[in-house]
Amino acid sequence: MLKVIQLDKTYGSNKHSLKAVNFTAQPGEVTAIIGPSGAGKTTILRSINQLIRDDSGQILLDDQDIRQANKGELRKIRHHIGMIFQNYNLINPLTALENVLHGRLGAKSTVAGMLGLYSDDEKSEALALLDEVGLKEYAYQRCDQLSGGQQQRVGIARALMQHPKMILCDEPIASLDPKSTKIVMDILRKLAREKQLIILINLHQVDIALEYADHIVGINSGAIVFEGPTDEVNDGVLQKIYRQADQPGAVVTANEN
Amino acid sequence: MKTNYQSPQQFYRQRRLRMLIVLLILIGIYVGSMLLVKFQTWNSIVKIPAGLIWLFHNFIPTERSISYLGPILYQLWRTLLVSISSTIVASIFALMAAILGAKTTTPHRSVSLVIRFGASLLRNIPVVAWAMILLFSFKQSDFTGFLALFFMTLGYLTRAFTETIEDLDAEKIQALQAVGANYFQCVFCGVLPEAASTLTSWVLYMIENNLRDATLVGLLTGTGVGFLFDTYFKSFRYDAAGLIVLLIAILVILLELTSTQIRRAIA
Amino acid sequence: MIENSQPNPNALQPSAPKSKHISLVTKPRKILRTVLAVLAIISIYSLATLNSSNLNLADAFHSLGVNLNAMFLHPSVGQDSWGQLLQALVTSVSLALLTTLLGAVVAFFIAVGAARNLAPSWLATGIKAVMAFIRAIPTILWVLIYSVVMGIGASAAVVGLTFHSVAYLVKAYSESIEETSQDTIEALKASGVGFWPIVFQAILPSIVPALLSWTFIRFEINFANAVAVGAAAGADDIGYFLFMAGNFYFNFHEVGLIVYLLLGVAIVLELISMKLRGHYLKHN
Repeated sequence: MLKVIQLDKTYGSNKHSLKAVNFTAQPGEVTAIIGPSGAGKTTILRSINQLIRDDSGQILLDDQDIRQANKGELRKIRHHIGMIFQNYNLINPLTALENVLHGRLGAKSTVAGMLGLYSDDEKSEALALLDEVGLKEYAYQRCDQLSGGQQQRVGIARALMQHPKMILCDEPIASLDPKSTKIVMDILRKLAREKQLIILINLHQVDIALEYADHIVGINSGAIVFEGPTDEVNDGVLQKIYRQADQPGAVVTANEN
Repeated sequence: MKTNYQSPQQFYRQRRLRMLIVLLILIGIYVGSMLLVKFQTWNSIVKIPAGLIWLFHNFIPTERSISYLGPILYQLWRTLLVSISSTIVASIFALMAAILGAKTTTPHRSVSLVIRFGASLLRNIPVVAWAMILLFSFKQSDFTGFLALFFMTLGYLTRAFTETIEDLDAEKIQALQAVGANYFQCVFCGVLPEAASTLTSWVLYMIENNLRDATLVGLLTGTGVGFLFDTYFKSFRYDAAGLIVLLIAILVILLELTSTQIRRAIA
Repeated sequence: MIENSQPNPNALQPSAPKSKHISLVTKPRKILRTVLAVLAIISIYSLATLNSSNLNLADAFHSLGVNLNAMFLHPSVGQDSWGQLLQALVTSVSLALLTTLLGAVVAFFIAVGAARNLAPSWLATGIKAVMAFIRAIPTILWVLIYSVVMGIGASAAVVGLTFHSVAYLVKAYSESIEETSQDTIEALKASGVGFWPIVFQAILPSIVPALLSWTFIRFEINFANAVAVGAAAGADDIGYFLFMAGNFYFNFHEVGLIVYLLLGVAIVLELISMKLRGHYLKHN
């Protein structure tokens, strides 16, 4: 179980800041974070594996506080948290298979990692994972020859290669067409159910969130304004999440223009 | 390369084998060259720190070397002048050659071929060889250095300019032709303004390059700041030689910074 | 056009703002023109003051013609033998190979420290400044300096050439590294991968084509430099023979032959580089 308690993060500008963020995400469930752009969705996700250092609070993954970990421990924790990205972030000139195997690098010593020494079992597992996301026949293709949806599935296989407890998905479908979106989201939901993973997704498409998520976290201007099961989300809740910033500051800038 | 049916183990084995072969070839080349030129890698690497210490010890300009400042600055100035003027004169000829040689603007394919071949010839004769060839006829004069740099620059710039012109959007030139512009109007109102900033960037780059090469040419032809360095160096006036090195470095860096600024401003 | 064709502006459009000057000259154009003008003035000044007092240009050009004829139409080995010359040529190529390989390996590791997306910025800036300084000093001076420390010969030549190669390649490599996307690096960081595995498994495969092409360019430069070093610092390669034939024996025919040999190597190199580039274009 992932438990985020009183997470704070202040930037110079008010945008992307977090104010006392609390929420939980359960294994076996898809949890979606929704909210207007600039609300802090990405900041939350990146705080969880500490790609962004937050200011204060607690992030408990199975009762271990990620924020207290030192450098070496953090690498170990990160190794069990998969992450997929809007732009897939694969190494383009390498094959799909090699990119999937990159998921094992975090578990290796520096020298074995530098030389990319993988065991036979790991190689077979990588191919099996590509098969699981439906890309077995593309295993030896360069990634930049794959379509966006295919690249995202390679990204998912890479995350699975880490044997993760949790997968963080940062706008995974923002660059995909509807068909690929459905494939990717179906895979993510299936993984949550079958492997009992915590799947935490940033989404800006509400309809997709309502269709696939079990649990919704709504955020506006860095603060949680809703948290609950998906069937509790109604128009009132959505209005609360997506209302325009109504601080006096916003009015002043509007007048200036 | 459809190798879809191999196992990942095979794939990695093949890849590793290929890497190993490349690595062995490179090591072979290294060891072979090492033996050929009788270079002892380890012995020489060990000496590098001592060399640097010696360098700092002897090459630091002292108060005495200030007295050499006058002639050094004068020769540095002459060297700068030669590198600029050789580049500019070469660029004028190169521009004409490039317009005649670029596929998009050439009057005839055979002209283009001849110009490309000539440019390649000029470019591929090392600057040292130019210096030697010209030294016979032009003796120890600035003119030798000027011509050596001129011929090499002509080769480089002709190729660079040709490629720049060929990279231009062909449609823009066709648009001019469609309006009824003749050949010269096309070249002077379409091609040149369009390519001007890229061409100038190349000229600036060549000036930088020629300033560096001018030292070498000077050394060989007995002119400019290269000759001065050689004189001081061979008479063990290392502090003065060090002053020259320092001033050349400063001048090159200043020139680099200036031309970067200019390039940014005209882009 | 617009400026020139207004015989009677008031009659044409009375309502338009009176002094609407439409300029075809933008600011970058102005700077461009100024720069070119300044360069032209410097060139004219330079040509006018070029030291050619002891030189009769007509005679000189005439003798150049005669010499070129002797060099290129009647090349011969002169007082050296084919064997000597070819061996010297191989030595030059070896020098270039050696210094390029050595320089490339050293430069890659330094470049990792000089890339802004990998190293702390004080380190990157520091390394880049030192490299810029080394690069600013012509290769030949490095060789001469080292020949005092190590004695004239191959070692000084190799170390001097390598010095400049490293400085050149660090700049090229670190800029290539900086072009790899920050996001892919972050993706591996997020899965707990350490620094050196990221460098070798993610960055290196992404930039291999760029590294190869820079290294090859440097190889061509190093070959030309190796010849220069032979001529100016007495390393035992083709440059030395060129220098001796030109400056001591005044043997035009041998100079011509050596220039042909150098041209031959250069053309082979250019063919190889075209092949290499074609190979990578096909695979990308």
